[in-house]
Amino acid sequence: MSAAPQAPAPGPLLKVENLEAGYGAINVLHRLSLYVDPGEIVTIIGANGAGKSTTLNTVCGVVKTRAGRIHFDGRLLTGTPAHDVVRLGLAQSPEGRKIFPRLTVRENLEMGAFTRRDPEGVREDIQKSYQMFPILEKRQAQPGGLLSGGEQQMLAIARALMSRPKLLLLDEPSLGLAPQIVVQIFDIIKELNQKQGMSVLLVEQNARMALKVAHRGYVLETGRITVTDNAAALLHDPRIREAYLGE
Amino acid sequence: MTLRGIAGYWMVAGFLLLAAVPFMQGRYVAIYGTQLIPVLCFAILALGLNVILGYTGLLHLGIAAFFGIGAYVAGILSTSGFPFGASFPVVVVVATLAAAAIGIATTAPTLRLRGDYLALVTLGFGIITVSVIRNLDAITDGTKGLTPVRPNFLPGFDDPVFDKTRPGWKDTWRGYPRLYFLCLAVLAGVVIFLRNLERSRLGRAWVALREDELAASCMGLNPARLKLSAIALGAGLAGLAGALFALSQDGTTEPRAYGFERSMLVICCIILGGLGNRPGVLLGVFILVGYDQIATPMIDNWMQEKKLNPNGKEYLKVSGWRLCIFGVALILMMRFRPEGLLPAARLKRELHPERDEVAGEAAAKLEAEDRGQRTEDRGQRTN
Repeated sequence: MSAAPQAPAPGPLLKVENLEAGYGAINVLHRLSLYVDPGEIVTIIGANGAGKSTTLNTVCGVVKTRAGRIHFDGRLLTGTPAHDVVRLGLAQSPEGRKIFPRLTVRENLEMGAFTRRDPEGVREDIQKSYQMFPILEKRQAQPGGLLSGGEQQMLAIARALMSRPKLLLLDEPSLGLAPQIVVQIFDIIKELNQKQGMSVLLVEQNARMALKVAHRGYVLETGRITVTDNAAALLHDPRIREAYLGE
Repeated sequence: MTLRGIAGYWMVAGFLLLAAVPFMQGRYVAIYGTQLIPVLCFAILALGLNVILGYTGLLHLGIAAFFGIGAYVAGILSTSGFPFGASFPVVVVVATLAAAAIGIATTAPTLRLRGDYLALVTLGFGIITVSVIRNLDAITDGTKGLTPVRPNFLPGFDDPVFDKTRPGWKDTWRGYPRLYFLCLAVLAGVVIFLRNLERSRLGRAWVALREDELAASCMGLNPARLKLSAIALGAGLAGLAGALFALSQDGTTEPRAYGFERSMLVICCIILGGLGNRPGVLLGVFILVGYDQIATPMIDNWMQEKKLNPNGKEYLKVSGWRLCIFGVALILMMRFRPEGLLPAARLKRELHPERDEVAGEAAAKLEAEDRGQRTEDRGQRTN
């Protein structure tokens, strides 16, 4: 395991230890451990069915933890239901975007700030997300379901940011998008990290794109972390290149 | 937006018209006015189910059970067989709260169920409730029902005696037209309350939950609590409607009135009028229940008078065919206007995207921009 970019003073923002979770009789995750330091983009790459989405869903409380511990921002997160996790500063943009299709773009953003009680701040943040994603302002009165795939992904990210999270969980933001839109989305993720210092845990099948923006990466195979390293190192690791980068 | 605005004006106009009914001239006005009272109760019932089905998207097939619970609570609190002798405000509040509490108690264990499974459980709940009412002779008086439901208007005061100023007007507050006005006022109150609720935090949270439960919980919405609150409000309104219904019928009538057929009729009203849209739901109730309870006997009488059906043959009566007509109308409706007569703006967009010109333009523009962007990208790459 390589050292984090800087020595984290108060410890990692998210720390997952020996996590086990699954569905029914099947355990999907086997003693999975990872951490995210403040200001880091960390990516989990892996094939279909490796357990990437299950990892995120377990961290944010949608899937139950069977064993192991999750610490977030110095608090034990294990067993906290999904709707309370948001209040602690952990926002998820779920797989498949999950826009509210009949709510307008603006209403979608407002729902993202559901846990907040400061209407003034929410309004300001909506303006901020319009600055970040000008297309959303143009579409603000349209129902979310009528947006194109790329716009929906932008809306999903903007919506997740509306809760002012400390850590953003992104599940397959490239899913079903045209290549140039994927580039755009990843530029946004990078910008979020560099300009606002947002910490991101990114789950991706598109390993090349993910490793290009991330600081560190984990490779997940059938529920186990098999390799972890600096993203740049992973990008040049011959095994990874062969298995996940198609070379 | 404009469509909704117009619907709002029509609703105010409709309420004024309904308020004017008792002052109209005519031989049958008092009779039809009296028959309108249960229709007003059904309107409250339908608005209650609309909270559960329309806003929150939970398919509840046993709403009539809460209606029955409200009616029987009213009966228990006010008939002479029980020691309560409660007054009208107490009856209404307790009936509402009891139905809401039973709604929460019966829904809490089923919160994990979705869609079809929830529908099955609620269907069972509706059937069991009617069976319990029918067989709990000691309390509910079995198939006879509790009667008479005659609470005092205010606790500790004698009921006022009114002048019978017009033909058909009764001298008590429980008779036409006072009860009619009372039910109309309660209905108006419920409509205004729901209008404000729709725009509130809670109202929007319900809609978000209906749209996508996973995304909603990722936004910090508590699905269990939201579902329970929707059921509590819907069941409470149904209980309120049931209490008013019992009052209007001077008894709880027979248990069958609270069975599956009534639940289905209310669901049909909502779907016919426009799921999730208050004016639509009210329109659906007035069309369907009005047709069922007022229009068919009216037409039959008229045919009898005009000697179109002199021998009173069953197969020539509209009332004999009413369910058949009803079924055909529903089929036609589902084929040609599945979103209902006055649809909620959101639902209409989804079912008829091609009619929504703004959306169509937007989609076209979107595509053009996407294409533009692609060529732009290509340009950059060649540079």
